[in-house]
Amino acid sequence: MLLARPRNLSARDWVKTNLFNNWYNSAITIVVLIAVGFAAQRTVEWLFSSDFLIIRRNLALFMVGQFPRDELWRPWVSGYLLMGAFGIGSGVLWRSAAADAEEKGLPIEPHSWLDLLRRFWAVIAVLIFFVSFARTLMPFVALGSVFLVFYVSRELGRKFNAAQKTRGLFLAGLLGLGSLGVLAGAGGLVALTVATLLGSWTLIEVRSYADERGVGGVSERPVTQRRRRFALRYPFRRRLGAVAASRTCAIAVALGVWFALNAVDFDGFGWDDWGGLHLTLFVTVVGISTGLPIGILLALGRKSDLPVIKTASVLFIEFVRGVPLISLLLFSNYMLPLLFPRDFGIPSQLTRAMIVITAFSAAYIAEIVRGGLQAVPKGQIEAAQASGMSAPKIQRLIVLPQALRAVIPAMVGQFISLFKDTSLLAILKLLEFLHASRVANTQVEFLGQGLANVTLPFIALGYWAFAYTMSKESRRVEERLGVGVR
Amino acid sequence: MLVRLLLLLAALAVIAGVFVATRRVIDHLTRRDTSDRPPPWRDQSVLSWAAQVVALGLIVTVGLWLWANFQARTDAIGLDLSFEFLDKPSGISIADNPVSSQAGIRDALAQGLKNTFLVIILGIPLSVLVGTIIGVARLSSNWLIKKLATAYVEFVRNIPPLLLIVFLATAVFLSFPQVTASSAEAAWRPFGGWMVFSNSRFAFPSIIALDNFGVYQVLIALSVLVTLGVWAWRTRVFNKTGVPHRRTLWSLVTFLVLGGVFFFALGGPFEFSKTAVEDGVWSGGFRMQMPYAALMLALVIYTASHIAEIVRGSILAVHTGQSEAAHALALNGLQRYRFVILPQAFRIAFPPLINQFLNYTKNSSLGVAIGFAEITSIVNNLFGQSRPAPQLLLILMVIYLTLSLILSVIGNLINRRLQLRGA
Repeated sequence: MLLARPRNLSARDWVKTNLFNNWYNSAITIVVLIAVGFAAQRTVEWLFSSDFLIIRRNLALFMVGQFPRDELWRPWVSGYLLMGAFGIGSGVLWRSAAADAEEKGLPIEPHSWLDLLRRFWAVIAVLIFFVSFARTLMPFVALGSVFLVFYVSRELGRKFNAAQKTRGLFLAGLLGLGSLGVLAGAGGLVALTVATLLGSWTLIEVRSYADERGVGGVSERPVTQRRRRFALRYPFRRRLGAVAASRTCAIAVALGVWFALNAVDFDGFGWDDWGGLHLTLFVTVVGISTGLPIGILLALGRKSDLPVIKTASVLFIEFVRGVPLISLLLFSNYMLPLLFPRDFGIPSQLTRAMIVITAFSAAYIAEIVRGGLQAVPKGQIEAAQASGMSAPKIQRLIVLPQALRAVIPAMVGQFISLFKDTSLLAILKLLEFLHASRVANTQVEFLGQGLANVTLPFIALGYWAFAYTMSKESRRVEERLGVGVR
Repeated sequence: MLVRLLLLLAALAVIAGVFVATRRVIDHLTRRDTSDRPPPWRDQSVLSWAAQVVALGLIVTVGLWLWANFQARTDAIGLDLSFEFLDKPSGISIADNPVSSQAGIRDALAQGLKNTFLVIILGIPLSVLVGTIIGVARLSSNWLIKKLATAYVEFVRNIPPLLLIVFLATAVFLSFPQVTASSAEAAWRPFGGWMVFSNSRFAFPSIIALDNFGVYQVLIALSVLVTLGVWAWRTRVFNKTGVPHRRTLWSLVTFLVLGGVFFFALGGPFEFSKTAVEDGVWSGGFRMQMPYAALMLALVIYTASHIAEIVRGSILAVHTGQSEAAHALALNGLQRYRFVILPQAFRIAFPPLINQFLNYTKNSSLGVAIGFAEITSIVNNLFGQSRPAPQLLLILMVIYLTLSLILSVIGNLINRRLQLRGA
């Protein structure tokens, strides 16, 4: 560790330094090599002796659960739209990050398809592996075009310059909304999506305001002369009208979608039919995006000086974090039905589980955001107070943008852990990814053949690919943020 | 219902309004100079009071509304909200446990809590051990084990613990040989039959008390005291004279010699017990159920991957100067870790470790998926027999909150001792 090693070693020297540099390392190497060889042999044996018929038969079950089979185009189209949203979003963000980097003289992030492949190889490989079990050619074509859509829309997103950033992200949000609309037109779902979109959009706006006005000490963009003039020319009150207008616009669009869906009498597929990997991803995304606004409010409540609000927030957060998610899910299953008014009826099992998962992720996000709030230097708040800002405005424009930016990696960590935690829905017999495999194992055709050692590794690969890619991405973001701060 | 709700809201709004108005009136009556005070709708203290009243009103309203719904629903289905059901027979039989299905629900719950404890008590030390080894291996100079440890961490950390548990139970352990009355000899018995593995139970050797075992226990306790004395003595000698203390060796030898002498002096107060399987009946030894082993091992594997990351991070967080100084003192690799790096790293690692212990405890509830009779699983079984859900959920959550509280209190106490004083 301390001695500088020459860069280019011959193969023999490399083996000597890295595997046999002293007696105990040599012993460890030999023992481990034998163990690895044994494991590899067993794995190869398993690979060639196993019958993968169970996966070929049940591929659709693993991917989308009980989704009506003649409507399978819907998940695909929704996948296209979602990939379009992701692509545009990431393109827009890349462009603005590149502009920042240029301004600061930092290296600009590479963006070729090769780099995308390096970053997302796990997900791409596993999806291709999954599709390779399909019995027709269609899924191959469809998957290929999903990747293509992502690449093209990313190139499209990169056309938005920094001033059009909000617009680009809004477009991405609309595409995401459309993707959900294709899947299900159920009113509650659309309302939920709208709430999510509005929440995240407000945050984006807060962020861009803070940037435009040059507030926020660690804001990545320095206050340029141009920006200061801009801020002076359009003081907050004058811009308020614009904000109101744009928000009304978003609400109008959302209502329009809802009414349009109602007008064509499209019931969609309630999410009770959903399942498989599709449901797992969906629950994760909804859990985080509905948990985020609530979590931020809880975190602010916990930091508040008002005893009532503070106590309520602390009690909620500590209670939810103190009990296992299963007990909360059991609560949703057995207790939540008793809390709805009698004339209201009882929402479906999955809906109730989603309510609990939202509360769960809100409590954890609240703790993460609290960490971010504590990381904002006190001087920032004092400076804001000195310049005569009101308390809500200080939170919205000064504290939150900095706090949220600091906790992005932790938030991704929470996203990953929620992604893994959705497997607990299996205990309620909801047909998510893990439970789909157990259901497949109990089919008459495959019952009692010990096929769990085929389906479970298959499922594990799926979970692993997504979680691994996300954690790698979060590390990348962390490094980039670190560069910005120091 | 809705009317009552609106009434309540209105009442609260009126109260808040009256409060604010009274404040203003009092301000005027006391003729305080209000010229430099902002109007009440911008007065910080008035606003914060108003916000609190509104918040409290909202919470109380929602709470009352939920309570009213709850009462209406429970009345409709005639649910008894008392805790008398705890004395009724539970109707669930727990494998390998003394509680029969005729015993009360109270006893079944107690047994479940005991099983949860068993999972925690064995699992947490094991996961710290495995996690530390893997965390250190990730920093090894040996390329092979470094890569293997990294692969382990990157794989296990990114799959759900439930998947691991189900995999161990249904794909690995269930494929072990089956033991029935007709095929009692089928089980896999390594180490000359001292361990037995089947798809229902694992067995390890245990100790059976013979004559004089009580006396022997007392003598062993005394030997521990003597051993501690030897340890202290060697430490003192080392501090005074600088002679190598070798206290581990000294203490170990003292303990073994004393234990051996007492063992023979008392004519063999205990013997090791081997598990026997006859006609499908298991006897002797220390037996664990397969689901217990699956749950515990899977949680250890999962938690260890997180602990490994914590350990690695903490070791990297120890200043490189420390390691260099240890080099300069000519300590070898093991000594550097044992005396310089790990003690400091442990201090950094402990707070996040407490978090992992809490996670482990909460994850132990996953036993419900493979039918291990820990507390959540028992409660879930009781739900299946339409026992009253509200009370059972209350009990379950209180138990987990208490467990979390106890663990974090213990952890924080230890943490306070670990941290540098005055630093």
